[in-house]
Amino acid sequence: METKSRTLEITVLSAEDLRIDNKPVKKNAYVVVSVDTFNNKATKVDGEGGSYPSWNDKLVMEMPSQTRFVTLQVKCKGSRGEKTVGLARIPVTDFVAGYSPEACLQFLSYRLRDPKGLKNGIINVSLRVKEPLQDCSLQAAGGGGNAAAIGLGIPIDGRRDYGVVTGIPIWTGYPSNSLF
Amino acid sequence: MGNCCSDVGGGMAAVSGAASSAATGNQNDAVDMYLRSHGIHGLFSQIELSFSATSLRDRDVFSKSDPMVVVYIKERDGAINEVFRTEVVLNSLTPTWIAKYTITYHFEVVQNLLFKVFDVDTQYHNVEVKMLKLEEQQSLGEACCTLSEIVTKPNRSLTLDLILREESVSSTHSQHHGKLTVHAEECFSSKSTADIILRCIDLESKNLFSKSVCGDGFIFSYFLFVLLSGILVIFWCKFGLVLQDPFLVISKLAESGISIPVCKTEVLKNDHNPTWKPVFLNIQQVGSKDSPLVIECFNFNSNGKHDLIGKVEKSLADLEKLHLGREGENLYLPTLVGHNYENKILNSKLLVDKFSETVKHTFLDYLAGGFELNFMVAIDFTASNGNPRLPDSLHYIDPSGRLNAYQKAIYEVGEILQFYDADKRYPAWGFGARPIDGPVSHCFNLNGSSNYCEVQGIQGIMMAYTSALFNVSLAGPTLFGHVINRASVVACDSLSTGAKKYFALLIITDGVITDLQETKDALVKASDLPLSILIVGVGGADFKEMEILDADKGERLESTTGCIASRDIVQFVPFRDVQSGEISVVGALLAELPTQFLTYMRRRDIKPST
Repeated sequence: METKSRTLEITVLSAEDLRIDNKPVKKNAYVVVSVDTFNNKATKVDGEGGSYPSWNDKLVMEMPSQTRFVTLQVKCKGSRGEKTVGLARIPVTDFVAGYSPEACLQFLSYRLRDPKGLKNGIINVSLRVKEPLQDCSLQAAGGGGNAAAIGLGIPIDGRRDYGVVTGIPIWTGYPSNSLF
Repeated sequence: MGNCCSDVGGGMAAVSGAASSAATGNQNDAVDMYLRSHGIHGLFSQIELSFSATSLRDRDVFSKSDPMVVVYIKERDGAINEVFRTEVVLNSLTPTWIAKYTITYHFEVVQNLLFKVFDVDTQYHNVEVKMLKLEEQQSLGEACCTLSEIVTKPNRSLTLDLILREESVSSTHSQHHGKLTVHAEECFSSKSTADIILRCIDLESKNLFSKSVCGDGFIFSYFLFVLLSGILVIFWCKFGLVLQDPFLVISKLAESGISIPVCKTEVLKNDHNPTWKPVFLNIQQVGSKDSPLVIECFNFNSNGKHDLIGKVEKSLADLEKLHLGREGENLYLPTLVGHNYENKILNSKLLVDKFSETVKHTFLDYLAGGFELNFMVAIDFTASNGNPRLPDSLHYIDPSGRLNAYQKAIYEVGEILQFYDADKRYPAWGFGARPIDGPVSHCFNLNGSSNYCEVQGIQGIMMAYTSALFNVSLAGPTLFGHVINRASVVACDSLSTGAKKYFALLIITDGVITDLQETKDALVKASDLPLSILIVGVGGADFKEMEILDADKGERLESTTGCIASRDIVQFVPFRDVQSGEISVVGALLAELPTQFLTYMRRRDIKPST
């Protein structure tokens, strides 16, 4: 089986309207980018931005072929340790099989949700997928059809995006309008 | 019949090369204010037109013609107004005129220009060109064009054939009367911007008992003393622990010595060592990098009378030096000593944490670099428009030639955007109808073809529209998702070939969309592409729901997968019948287009030229 991995260059740009316990974050926010549970990198801490921090930090990571999501976790270094402010999951299909051509710089923004599942701000990133040199012949056939050959998934209903779904857990007892 | 000889004396008179009326800086501010107060917010820059001609007719007997150019503007209502005259060039059939005409370029309006070349017969020595009577001169020909035609040419020069009016009616073939070349140059190219972060340290507290204290504070503290326990208040005043809310005002010094404020920072609450957010200064706006600027630090007072804490006089070049040397400059305060004002040097210092100059290319730079705006159109063929054969339908084609709302919208937007598209082939689609022997389609080619979607020119769109109207049966519902996805594919294909194209999709609809979430999903996916979507609502429906799509009026769009639009690509405007002379509603729609274009280019750091 081909274990092809691609290089992901992700620049974490900024975040907007971050809150902890409904109060705006004061300072020291940073982001942890993970491709899977073992493969993660963190940005620098933004001491001044408060609830609208900006990092402009470029991270380069290896992305194995089976990766489904790239996870962004915004954390805050407080006096009592670290707190997770919000989490966003970027399906790989959003930037691999989407409209933009391969290896093109893409700007994306995602909704962050806090550990309880409530909306908590927006994170802005730009990323680019680079192919490792030895595997460029495989990619010549084109993105979508090739992914099936590598075993990325079974196409659902003939759709190109392979039916990746993002689920949001719903707890009882929370007013429904706060989730959307 | 021309004159025998030319006016040599007149030909030797000096002519100034620069635009005679434009005073640097100040006129720009005044023009800015005027236009903004009239609701014109678009991107506009000043363009200088210069003229030259070749192969002019020779009207004089013993010498050559003495040509002069007169520039007219054709208004929307057909009126022709003279706006400018060049100087007279002596004895030449291939003149290059020195005098230049300055005009403000408006992206969202068609600016029709008419040029007439005259052979000046009368003696013009010691007479101002303005005083010459045109009826007494001989016409060498005229030509007309729009301003956008000139600026979209690669080298910004347009060569027009001169035609003689009398002949254009009678003769069957046009005679050559020479060519006129108009060249456009962007003045105040507003390219260099300085990005500065300023900081102050040790801002001095105002001592309530000093001479420059404001009376309000003193009286206030007196009552406080009376009402509360007094001792605490006395200690409070004595130690001068007054709260400071500082902000900066940067002004430029006009020649007359008065200072004109150029920008103001935000107010920082209760800060004795404030660092303000970055300030962006357009270097042309202040004159030059060496123009003297006054930076004043005020203490914010909610009654509007802010106290001056201190000031400093520096030019941008001096601020750059302060930044490089990492030193501070002491503020000074003009204080009254006896009968004179003395500059009392304070302990507070102004520091420059960041000073960087960036070159910001303008929209016209990108046009000159070969970028194109490609126009695409999608028309609503849902049944809510009404039966097209009945006069009350929004799709009714009036035999008298009066355009219906759809045709007006296509025409008004198209006549502006057509100059920015090189090949003038526009993809055109319809949605919400059932073509002959087919199911309801939410994105069918307007020209009836199943292979390609493009039509030729604005006329092509009009013809395809009228023929489609009688070849499809109106149905529903109103869905935008399909046309937006189709347009996204076009934009994406162009991206992968590396073409320098930006796309503008015009959607004309009569009703509220049924698939709001699907449309949002399509828009979020398209937000990273070189695409802008202009939605025009015709008819009397309540378009409040559509305004959600325009991020100017609401929040950023969010898709079902949690993805958020990376930029605002939608402009929505309800179309209403506008009397001629008013600023067209379509103008407001297009005014944001250059800004969206620039946001896309600047974010990706794409430069105009290769």
